[in-house]
Amino acid sequence: MTTPARDPLQRDEERHGVDYAEGTPSGTTREVLRDLVPGRTPLRPTRTPGGILRLAHVDITVTDLDVATAYYTEVMGMAVSGRDTDSVYLRCWDETDHHSLRLRYAPRVGFDLMAYKVQHEDDLDDLENKVARYGLPVQRVSRGESVGQGESIRFATPSGHVMELVHEVERVAATGRGRTNPDPFQAQGEPGPPSRIRPPRMDHLLVTAEEVGESTQFYMDVLGFRITEQLLDGNGHQLGTWLERSHSPHDLAVVHGANGGLHHFAYWLDDWDDVRDAADVLAYNGIQLDVGPTRHGITRGSTIYFFDPLGTRNEVFTGGYRPDPDFPTITWTEDNVGRAIFYYEGELNDRFMKVHT
Amino acid sequence: MSILRLSHVELRVPDLELATAYYVEVVGLVETAREHNRVFLKCWDEHQHHSLVLTLEPTHGLNHLGFKVTDAADLDHYQARLGSAGVAVKRYAAGEWAPGHGEAIRFELPSGHQMELVHGMQQVGNLLPQTNPPPRPMGLVGMAPPRVDHIFLTAEEVDTVTRFLVEQLDFRLTEQVLGDDGFQIATWLEVSHTSHDIALITGPNGGLHHFAFWVDGWNDLRTAADVCAYHGVTLETNPTRHGATRGQCLYFFDPVGNRNEMFTGGYWVDPDAEPITWTEAEMGRALFYYDGVVNQKFLTVHT
Repeated sequence: MTTPARDPLQRDEERHGVDYAEGTPSGTTREVLRDLVPGRTPLRPTRTPGGILRLAHVDITVTDLDVATAYYTEVMGMAVSGRDTDSVYLRCWDETDHHSLRLRYAPRVGFDLMAYKVQHEDDLDDLENKVARYGLPVQRVSRGESVGQGESIRFATPSGHVMELVHEVERVAATGRGRTNPDPFQAQGEPGPPSRIRPPRMDHLLVTAEEVGESTQFYMDVLGFRITEQLLDGNGHQLGTWLERSHSPHDLAVVHGANGGLHHFAYWLDDWDDVRDAADVLAYNGIQLDVGPTRHGITRGSTIYFFDPLGTRNEVFTGGYRPDPDFPTITWTEDNVGRAIFYYEGELNDRFMKVHT
Repeated sequence: MSILRLSHVELRVPDLELATAYYVEVVGLVETAREHNRVFLKCWDEHQHHSLVLTLEPTHGLNHLGFKVTDAADLDHYQARLGSAGVAVKRYAAGEWAPGHGEAIRFELPSGHQMELVHGMQQVGNLLPQTNPPPRPMGLVGMAPPRVDHIFLTAEEVDTVTRFLVEQLDFRLTEQVLGDDGFQIATWLEVSHTSHDIALITGPNGGLHHFAFWVDGWNDLRTAADVCAYHGVTLETNPTRHGATRGQCLYFFDPVGNRNEMFTGGYWVDPDAEPITWTEAEMGRALFYYDGVVNQKFLTVHT
């Protein structure tokens, strides 16, 4: 598939004959890709929803690339997809996109960006337009500038987090599953008591922001996220919000804290048994648990929090529910914050509230 | 936007009291409305008025299956599209077909199954408060699945129905069993980024192989098996694993003979994912990964 040359000075209305800033109109004609597999390729323009699909990758900085890589491969069980001068790119066993985690060497631990995958090529134009109209500068990253992916757009959200939206990613073979008669688990690691956590995929991340309400409005109004749950203080201000695009409890969450901060990113596990196995693996490897195994009130998921050896908080997560787009938002009040976050403990620890990267 | 997910299933049952007792006390559904010949049920975590309708009729089997659409305009869109493809479409106003039911269009699949798209079903809330809710209600009975998950139909020409679902309704193929002659023996299709929302297997037109409830994990399948055994419900399989969809499952029959499944696992699938193919020689493992042999009863019994 080729991307048509783009004239940045040409307005969307001229290029498409419609105003994408008002949302992709129903019945929009899209290019039909003839080279895809029969049976999944719509034979005519469809009304398949566009916009953001899901979390694509999280890019963090680490102070020791070797230690971090050893942890994310040997303990977490991710596979290395590629390396360049300062970075290692990793993916989970059921992921076929090039990477879901980038580790970049830097003198301090931190957060580079969060990337979300959009469904259609023209979603990039649409969302670029919307972000620009909101008043934020948007940068086009051309094909080849980022490892493992095609064109993307980048911008800093109102809370100062760099967010990337990407459509085309380099396909790599799933490490666990071929496409013909595949075993239902990761084939290269034989079944048995796991010695690595081996999550099938990345799930969500949680960022910190000084103005949770403003960030939430931005994610909802401009990027089309839907709010599933919110934590309100006594004055009705949002202390935390949980937002989704993928019909899960959250693909992105925002809690009150420093602008630009990453609280944690989370891997999906299939069920509570896997959460216990993850705790076994972590304990065996001498990794201190932050919280858990336990249950969230918010999202209803089961969880463990822990830190990678350089200090970025990880989570393994399972459960939750399947919200429709018309899902009524659940509200938590500040007097119930303990149960909202950790339903069994009913209280928060200071470290969980204060430590982020 | 589009078709979202499986909304509801309407079953024929020759004994309404018996079937209702089973779906409420053994499966653990909630009764939301009742008429002289119909009972409306939903799972505990569903907000919509009903996801299972039991209709008193002399036989068992499937009357219709319903999928939820995102916007009311989707009904117009699919009505027009189906109409231009020569498919007869019947339109229902909200509440016309049943209490709490939304606006809907009804049409026939090439396999003779009655299919519906519905929007705006009455929202009755799940069993939890909207403020500071606990993660599950206490006092649930039976298997208590949070929601319905998918439906599995039989069709003489799986290829034709699969093509119809893809071309007319924008379903996407995730997995298929290909016969040595190149025809599709079975297919799995999705609209909700799961391993499947609907599946088809070669068999008589209009048949229901089973419909499935979601449970959160493998442990819940053991609980469901305990519940079946306690109530004397016939288990068709042990808790086991599918090759296709990678899910874990338990099959059993309701007291009037409709097959039920409890299902968990599977995977997230992007819209552009490449489908998985199972060859005819591996069909046993595709269906039941642990057993690895084609279970003839599983393939032939349907309603």
